[in-house]
Amino acid sequence: MGVMSAAAPAERYRAISPAEFFYKYREIAGFSNPARALYQAVREFVENALDATDSHGILPNIKIIIEKADENREFYRVTVEDNGIGLPPHVVPEAFGRVLFSSKYILRQTRGMFGLGAKVAILYGQMTTGRPVEVITSQPNLRRIYYFKLRIDINKNEPIIIERGSWRKNRDWHGTIVSMTLEGDWSRAKQRIKDYILRTAVVTPYANIVFMTPDGEIYYYERVIDKLPRPPKEVKPHPYGVDLELMKRIRDGGSFSTVKEMLMKSFQGIGKVTASSLLEIAGISPDLSPKSLSDRQLLELVNAMKNYKRFRAPTSEALSPLGEEVIKAGLKRIYEPEFVEAVTRKPSAYQGHPFIVEVGIAFGGKVPLSSDKYPTLLRYANKIPLLYDEGSDVSTAVVKEDISWDQYLVKLPAPIIVLVHICSTKVPFKGVGKESIADVKEIRNEIKLAIQEVARRLRVYLSKKLKEEEKKKRVVSLAKYVPEIVRALTIILGDGQGVKAELLEEKLVEIVSLRTGIPKDEVHNVVKSVEIGV
Amino acid sequence: MAISSVDKYARQKSLEILREKFALVAKRILEGKKPVLVMPKRVLSNTIYDMNKKLLLLGPEMKRRSLLDVNEARKFMQTLLMASIIYEALVNDEYPTIRDLYYRGKHTISYRDISGKLHHENTWDEQRESDAVIRDIEVFLGVLREEMLILSKEKGKVVGNLIIKSGDDVIDLSRMGHGAYAIEPTPDLIEFKDIDAEFVLVVEKDAVFQQLHRYGFWKKYKAILITSAGQPDRATRRFVRRLSEELKLPIYILTDADPYGWYIYSVFKIGSITLSYESERLATPNAKFIGVSMTDIFGEEEAAKNINKLASIFGKEIKEVISKPKKKAYLSEKERRNYIIKAKKKDVERAVELIGYDVADKLIRNPEIKKYIRQKKLGVSGYPWFRTPEWIKEISIFFSKLAKLEIEAMASKGLKFLADTYIPTKIETGDWID
Ligand SMILES: Nc1ncnc2c1ncn2[C@@H]1O[C@H](COP(=O)(O)OP(=O)(O)O)[C@@H](O)[C@H]1O
Ligand SMILES: [Mg+2]
Repeated sequence: MGVMSAAAPAERYRAISPAEFFYKYREIAGFSNPARALYQAVREFVENALDATDSHGILPNIKIIIEKADENREFYRVTVEDNGIGLPPHVVPEAFGRVLFSSKYILRQTRGMFGLGAKVAILYGQMTTGRPVEVITSQPNLRRIYYFKLRIDINKNEPIIIERGSWRKNRDWHGTIVSMTLEGDWSRAKQRIKDYILRTAVVTPYANIVFMTPDGEIYYYERVIDKLPRPPKEVKPHPYGVDLELMKRIRDGGSFSTVKEMLMKSFQGIGKVTASSLLEIAGISPDLSPKSLSDRQLLELVNAMKNYKRFRAPTSEALSPLGEEVIKAGLKRIYEPEFVEAVTRKPSAYQGHPFIVEVGIAFGGKVPLSSDKYPTLLRYANKIPLLYDEGSDVSTAVVKEDISWDQYLVKLPAPIIVLVHICSTKVPFKGVGKESIADVKEIRNEIKLAIQEVARRLRVYLSKKLKEEEKKKRVVSLAKYVPEIVRALTIILGDGQGVKAELLEEKLVEIVSLRTGIPKDEVHNVVKSVEIGV
Repeated sequence: MAISSVDKYARQKSLEILREKFALVAKRILEGKKPVLVMPKRVLSNTIYDMNKKLLLLGPEMKRRSLLDVNEARKFMQTLLMASIIYEALVNDEYPTIRDLYYRGKHTISYRDISGKLHHENTWDEQRESDAVIRDIEVFLGVLREEMLILSKEKGKVVGNLIIKSGDDVIDLSRMGHGAYAIEPTPDLIEFKDIDAEFVLVVEKDAVFQQLHRYGFWKKYKAILITSAGQPDRATRRFVRRLSEELKLPIYILTDADPYGWYIYSVFKIGSITLSYESERLATPNAKFIGVSMTDIFGEEEAAKNINKLASIFGKEIKEVISKPKKKAYLSEKERRNYIIKAKKKDVERAVELIGYDVADKLIRNPEIKKYIRQKKLGVSGYPWFRTPEWIKEISIFFSKLAKLEIEAMASKGLKFLADTYIPTKIETGDWID
């Protein structure tokens, strides 16, 4: 074979900016088409708004407005307002104009965590409509309100400030209003967006949420409880979850005089003794400066930590479970069920990541009828509703395969909802869609135990109810004969001769009520409903 | 229409009892007490065979039918409903039949359940239900339906030298032509005026009754001839009982030679299980089973063959009854071949119910039937009034031969034979079972 042709075109090399990357591959972040984009934009801003409020001890007031922004084209303006902590004015351009800029790169449970969401939405809007994003914000301790109109320079991954301004606060306001325009498809996204907001409302009974649609509808979910979930604390990483990259970041990020000091100050559960034995296993002298360690040595250290058996389980302080009270209040607010119970399991861990499973069950009331296979599932990860890929979620597997519902007196289809919330510093999502959680043994088991615990309470309730119904049926089967009996007795004894029909009936109702424990007027109602034919 | 004074008196008495009993029910209700009807239990387990009186009687067990018991509430309502209908009929001088009562009381009750859904329910569906309620009222009040002037279809017939008064008419039962007097549903209201007879012959089969009637049997032998036309109704039984008790006539019963015939005889003599509360009034303890008996067909030697097997169950005493065969069969070998019928499985089952599984198992030779009976009737103990030496002898032949015979067969041999030989001989020689 001949030598390769010299005419092959020369490869051209260049780096692209993160902004350009996400601009090109926006579907990775969920912006694959106008319907999906509209939905995703709402999500990103609502989640930012909640992160800025409930994680900081503020009872959220959130307003979401979607309006048609152009007569002829499918442009929609999405505005999300919150009463959160706001942003320092100098950070605003970066936060909304530089991809991968975030305040959430720490070990703490938040909804956002990649510094991506808002920016990809803004990029998408910029690309489809050419219109800039507007941000109004103020922090609690500031006297002024700041205003920005921004655009993203895609090539440089930098904000371009088009307009900025500020004015004095004349009322005690803090929070953020973000407004942007994008091409969307409301009619196709409508159901998804409403579902998303409804499901968000289920787990945020402590929030006032207003949602105004382009169709002129207004949804208002009023706050029903003043209790916030415990805010997450920032924690040090657990040694089991560590890898070489993280180790390098820690070394480069701090000024430690010895490796031993670095270990003791950067990780949970490593004290003097443990640090010494880890370093011994890794064959590293404890007094070395961390900066002097080679990659090989760092890797030895990582492996020593991963194989060490005696660490305490990771702390769950970074987690922010909803809590039983909040789950119950949330389910009540939306479904007004006849039965509602919830449980928050004790923290557990998988692969060094702490997690907590919470389960709530609502039955009856306005709860819609489930399928005949398993109860209606409401899935949440770190307080974010998961709407898609239900079939491949671990919770689905549990309610379908691990729980036999008839054992709990639930005859499917039934008006029953099972809410499953998994919070973790690292939720094991399945695939890039982040809509379903992988079948991790430890998590599956916790979900099962949690559901069983609540379902047992449901069974107690249902069996009581069943007994009550039996009793009522019994009453009907007696009371329906009262008029015939009264009629017969008055024929034989003669109404005139001291035996009054009304009195007999009254007495019979009294006797039936007394002996069955069913209130007199209920017995009366049955008796009154009777008609004797000829 | 003139109402006979006898009827009037019966009505007054029944009305009084009805009012009195239900006034107590109403009183309990007004006092806030549980509405209950206390009455004797009408079930086999509460039916007692009184060895001394030789009667089937209602036992001492009482049931409390309560409105507050879900399983009894409907019956409670039905009982009151039926009582009110009977009450109205009595007051209005009516004579309803049990079928009339069924129709009068049948209607729907509409009601709504707790969820508001409308339901319809019939007070009763079939006549079987309302008939049972009538029987309950009879035991609850201690008053028989005849005394409440409730009628049923007439079934029994009678002819003979007997003059009666029924209502306000005097009837001569020897002047009925080819027909007969239908025994009325209220035989207690009949008055016996004059009699010229020496015994009563009750025939199970209507056809045989007619043959004997046309033959002039009752004239020739000074008999009162009666048929029950199958299972006897209450009126026929009460009428026979009155002939026995008031006119002191011997009563002879002639039935088919099969388990149904034997049971009919026992109903006349000691009472029935479903109406045991009436035995005291309806049963005729002196009634005698005159035939057709198994020994009349096969002769007594046939019974003697079973003697050892029977002794193993009943002991030596049985031998005295069976051991010395005196009587020859009335039928020749050839006649037997012509007249007897192979017993059906159902007949055998019925016979086991009368006499008990132990006897059947000892005597049945046919392996197929033996196996069948084991499957169906193992452990059945039999009625005490059939476990007497005479009946054991009788039924043992049935089991070993698995054959039965209808009275018509005796008439086929010659009506003359039946009327002039068979029946008179049996009576003269005292060849009956008592
Ligand atoms: N409504 C808001 N209130 C306060 N801070 C906000 C708000 N929205 C966004 N931010 C800040 O902007 C940063 C970037 O947001 P975003 O691009 O959505 O990334 P992420 O939420 O993943 O951190 C957030 O980390 C947060 O600090
Ligand atoms: Mg975000």
